[in-house]
Amino acid sequence: MNEIIIDALGEACPVPLIKAQNAIKEMAVGDVLVLQVDHSCAMKNVPEWARKDGHNVEIEEVDDGEWEVIIEKA
Amino acid sequence: MNKIKEFFSKKGMKKAWGYVAGAVLLSVVQVITLASTGSPWGVSGPLMNWGAWTFRLFGGNVNNWHRFSSVGAQATLDAGFFSDPGTIRNLALIFGALLATLLASQFKIKKIKSKKQIIAAVLGGFMMGYGARLAAGCNIGALFSGIASLSLSGWVFALFLFFGAVAGSKILVKYFM
Repeated sequence: MNEIIIDALGEACPVPLIKAQNAIKEMAVGDVLVLQVDHSCAMKNVPEWARKDGHNVEIEEVDDGEWEVIIEKA
Repeated sequence: MNKIKEFFSKKGMKKAWGYVAGAVLLSVVQVITLASTGSPWGVSGPLMNWGAWTFRLFGGNVNNWHRFSSVGAQATLDAGFFSDPGTIRNLALIFGALLATLLASQFKIKKIKSKKQIIAAVLGGFMMGYGARLAAGCNIGALFSGIASLSLSGWVFALFLFFGAVAGSKILVKYFM
């Protein structure tokens, strides 16, 4: 199981979502993607897409206005 | 009572209201806007006036510009910044957004990542602003208020907004990611 971290801090929609989608394509089943974001819309549209795609998603608020969206590829 | 308490709690302030709640609130408030000010809700029109006022501040004269030559436009400019309902609404929009993010403890000053990001922001802002003026409205004045007024123009705007978004996304992915 690999863990990939993507720093999307300071990036506005739809950049975090596109980065996550591109990363997931390259990953194997069971790999984990940690997407760091500070754009509240990304905290909504990234999990929405990932759950629709069937992956496991968790959101963690790491600081004021800063989140980690953790996606396990399924 | 517990529901109200929960709503005003820290957790309640962080919770997003959802698309339906947002749509209903926007509809109700835009009806109030039209009824109280006599014009539908718009955002980029007042921003254009901000530009005219700034230009006047530096001694410029926009009175002969086609855009500002009408009696109505002259009256709005002469009445001044704080007499324009659209201007007050735009300021309130910024302060309201700030208040919401502060109440949710989600305020953060974001870092500028690269020069590319600055170019993208300036270029995108210019294209949106220029396009909104050519179309005589943005996605609020032309799209939202247009459709809410049962005008066909709102739907036409929506169609071309879609093409614009596709083109914008392609440029973004190709040059700015």
